[in-house]
Parts: sequence; structure tokens; C-alpha cells
Amino acid sequence: MTEAMIRLEQLTKRFPGQSEPAVEELSMEIPEGEIVVLVGPSGCGKTTTMKLINRIIEPSSGRIFLEGEDVTAADPDQLRRRIGYVIQQIGLFPHRTIHDNIATVPKLLGWSDDKIRARVDELLETVGLDPSRYRDRYPKELSGGQRQRVGVARALSADPPVMLMDEPFGAIDPITRDRLQNEFLRVQEDIRKTIVFVTHDIDEAIKMGDRIAILGERSVIAQYDRPEVILSQPADGFVEDFIGSGASLKRLNLARVRDYELGDWPTGRVDEERPTLLAKLRASDKGAILILDAEGRPQRWLRPRDLQRPDASLSDIGLVVEAKVEPQATLADALNELVRSRVGSAVVVDKSGVYAGTVDMDVIMTAAEAMRKAARADARASMDAESSAGQVR
Amino acid sequence: MTPLEQLEGFPTYLANNWDTVLELAIAHAIVVGVSIVIAGVVGVGLGCLTYRNQPARDAVLRVTGLFLTIPSLALYALLITIPGMGFGAKPVIVALTMYALLPIVRNTVTGLLGVDPAIVESALGMGLSRGQRLFRIELPLAWPVVLTGVRVSTLIIIGIAALGAILNGPGLGELIFDGLGRFGTPFALPIALSGFLGVVALGIVFDVFFNVVTRLTTSRGVR
Repeated sequence: MTEAMIRLEQLTKRFPGQSEPAVEELSMEIPEGEIVVLVGPSGCGKTTTMKLINRIIEPSSGRIFLEGEDVTAADPDQLRRRIGYVIQQIGLFPHRTIHDNIATVPKLLGWSDDKIRARVDELLETVGLDPSRYRDRYPKELSGGQRQRVGVARALSADPPVMLMDEPFGAIDPITRDRLQNEFLRVQEDIRKTIVFVTHDIDEAIKMGDRIAILGERSVIAQYDRPEVILSQPADGFVEDFIGSGASLKRLNLARVRDYELGDWPTGRVDEERPTLLAKLRASDKGAILILDAEGRPQRWLRPRDLQRPDASLSDIGLVVEAKVEPQATLADALNELVRSRVGSAVVVDKSGVYAGTVDMDVIMTAAEAMRKAARADARASMDAESSAGQVR
Repeated sequence: MTPLEQLEGFPTYLANNWDTVLELAIAHAIVVGVSIVIAGVVGVGLGCLTYRNQPARDAVLRVTGLFLTIPSLALYALLITIPGMGFGAKPVIVALTMYALLPIVRNTVTGLLGVDPAIVESALGMGLSRGQRLFRIELPLAWPVVLTGVRVSTLIIIGIAALGAILNGPGLGELIFDGLGRFGTPFALPIALSGFLGVVALGIVFDVFFNVVTRLTTSRGVR
């Protein structure tokens, strides 16, 4: 573990008029450059915990360290300008343009107009919005997904080392949410921020988190570890219940398509002769051949009986390729597509839509086996480490 | 002369005296304008200071509400007993300001409390100070509601300002009282009517003015 970016020490929050504290003696370290997900049932205090970090809620006792510095008593406004903040409702300023929204913190910090303009355009590009089209619009002129991206851009504006995200994708439809999650992970690969991410959705936690803290009542940590460890070795019954059934399926959320050897289905070009295609198909053990266009983009699946129909053109017969995934998609995404596909295979395409391989049941099974082995090895290694550490003490 | 015959004399009266009527209308507008500016500053200020504190907020609303229940003649009579107040524009402006406060304070408070808490929270989370949040986020968002309060106040005090003529206050009330004083003479009705219509016209002018101001000072993003 690298040096902790955020360190919470015995943090407690008691709200007036409540007998039980909302957060009790919470201590945790959040390492630099990782996404740490706080997850737990409603009312467990995860949002309160997050708001203690930027002191939107002031702790009753305990200390908060940011980059090694005790910020428990620092000026809260100055502190918050160093911490990006994204909430579920996003909270864009409706009376300000997208540019002005994103420029909020840089303006507070006194950046020059030129620097601010360049930074805003850069961030809009980062989150996939064309600056010339969106810069001067108002929030009400954007869709929910676009507003969410602007919210992320705004939180990143002054390049804070830390971001707090409270159910940032919670109010978005499932399809857009999935896309935004993937985009955000891609952005995070470049920016490597330290992120505290709150959600009640264990699947989102597994997908987004480098580490997951499963919180019980009063924000007590039930388990704090890497997602694969939490899935393979839940610390107690509470964690097990929270993960729910299907831990092996959930583990597929942790694996990315690009990290595994892809399946090899026969392919042909749209301009090739039928006998050639048929011969290629017969030479493989698969039930269909994938037809690519001149740029190498997958078009159709052709089965032997499709190829035996001499009357129709190649671009009209067979099955249109619908199940497509990108290399950064998870195996769970791929499995989902695969099940949907009538051929039993999801086609992997790169960013420009060019064929890169396939994910079929064999690929999934091999990956699942590999993950199981790795988890077992991990568990053994950590047990060894603990016992040897015990001996040193 | 029957009232109808008197009414026929109205155009003639207005044609011969339009400069007087206009002068009084301008004086009327100035008294109302000065009062509304003072009430605007005080009212919005009180609203901003108290909206987050319920006891203070309730107290301010109760006191300004009380002002509005005092009959205007009684208030004018009361004001001239205050040493140094005298007659003329001064007591009228004081009275009008008092009457204008409630709608302005009330709408300022309502507008500020109506700002989406998520917007305020995101502003807080970004490190905007208390004052920055108020002036850059909350007030601009509450602005259309605040202006509506100012507009309602203006319409209320335009009418009350006419009564200020009994204290020798400037404005169209002079014509109304003059007309009443000449009851039975040929010009009684035309004079009073020009004062009355002048007040109505002034109300319309102020209303249009506030429409334009609201358009010009409200962000396109919240219209």
C-alpha cells in the first residue's frame, strides 16, 4: 500500500438529539490513487462518513488527515477547494453556463481567464462533451447523463488530489449509468485521483472499487479489502449477506475482457467467395463465420445453411452482429451479451469498431477458473504474511 | 351639472392642464421610487439576514406584517407627531417604505428557502464561503421571486402614496383631494378623475418596467 492520502482516526459523529452516534470511532486509511468504495445498507452512515472528510458535517471527535496534514481544524472552505465533490443530484448551478459551472473553483483560486478557458475545454473533452457545442449552454439544456459528466468535470476543475463521490450515478437510467461508469473508469486510469465513492449497490462497488469498505451500523467497518478478496473470503455473515448470492458471477465484474485470451472464431471478408467462406467455416469447430466489412468491422454471422443460399447477397443473409463489447468491458458485460446473442459469442471490437476477437463460454470458464485459483493463492499468501508478521511481533 | 356633463368636460380639462398632471405624476413616481429602493435594500437585507434562523425570520415577518395592517391615514397622522418629521415628502416616504417591506421580505425569504438544497450543498462542497454562496448562488436563483415581491410592493404603495397629499406630500393625490374639495363645481370630477387615472397609468408603467427588469436581470438558465 502506498502512503495514505486520507487518514481517518477514531472519527465519531453524534447528531444532537440522537442516542446512537451516526459514525462511531471510524479509523481507516485511503491510499493514494485508488477508488475506495464505501458501501452498506441505507442508514449505515456511509454518506455521513464521506461528508466528514470535507467537513460538510463536522466530526464530534477524531481527526482527519489529508496528505499527511491534520485538517480537522483547517479552514473548511480552503479544505474543500482541494477536494472534488460530486453528489447524486449533481447540483449544477442552473443560472450559470456549463463553462462557468466548471470554472467555479478555478475562479475562487484566482486563475487567469485564459487558463480557466483552456482548462474547461480540456475537461469537457475528457468527459466526452464537445467544448464548442456545450461550453455556453445552460444545465437545463443538457440530458441527465450529460449533466452528470459536467458534474464530474466541475469536481476535477482545479485538479484536486481527492474526489468525494456520493452515489454519482444513482439517479441515471441503467444503460447510461453503465456507460458513465465505464467512461469514468477510463478517465481514472489517466488521472489517478484518490476517490471516496459512496453507493448502496454492491455490484457498483465491485465494478468501481479498487478497495471496498463494507459498513455496518454506525459506519463500523465490517470488511475493508480488495473486491476479489471480499467476494472470495467474506469476513462474516453480514458481509456474506450483503454480497448476496452469486459471488462467482459477481467476480466476473472484476475481470476485463482485454486481460484474457479471446476466443477465435472464423472470419471472412464481405467480398470473399462463398465456397472460400464455407471452407473456412468447415475448417473450424464453430457453427458460424463472422463477416467483416472492408474496414474490418463485424457485420453478420453466417451459418452453413446461410452460405448455401445462392440467391441472396451476403449483406442480407445470416444474423446481424448485435452482441458487441469493447476491450475494457467486464466479463460480466460480455457474458450478458453472449447470452443475448444467438450464436453464443460476444464480439469484441476496439474503439473504432474493428474486430478484435470474441468472448464465448470457453473464455468465460477459463477466466473464472483462473480467478478462483488466484483468489486461493492470495488467501494463502495473506495468511502466510499475517502469521509471519505475528512471529516478528 | 350632471356627472355625465362633467365627464364631457374631462378631455378639455386634460388638454389644458396636462403639464400639471404630468408634473404631479412624475413627483408621484419619484416618491414611490425612492420608497421602493429603500424598502428593497432594507427588505432584501432583512430577508438575507434572517432566512436561515426561524425565530428571527418569524419576528421580522410579524413586525412588517403589522405595518401593513395600520390604516394609512392613521399612520400618516402618527408620523407627523414625530419631531423633525414635518409635512411633505419625508413622512410619506417613511410610511410607504414601511408598507413596502412585508412583500419584499416575505418573497426574499421564500425565494432563498426555495433554492434546491442540492445546489447549495454542491456550492458548499466546492468551498464557496457563506457570502459567496449567498451572493453568487442563492440570491441569483431567488431573484425572480424577490423581484415579484418588489413589484407587488410597488403596486400597493402607488395607491397609498396618493393619500400622502393630506400631508402635502407630492403626487397625484393632490388632484384627487382638489377634486373632492370642489365637489359640486364643474371641474370637480375631471380633476379628481385625472388624478385617479394618473395613478392607474403609473401602476401600469411600473408593472411594465418590472417586467423588463426581471427579463434583463434573470439568467437565461433559469427562465
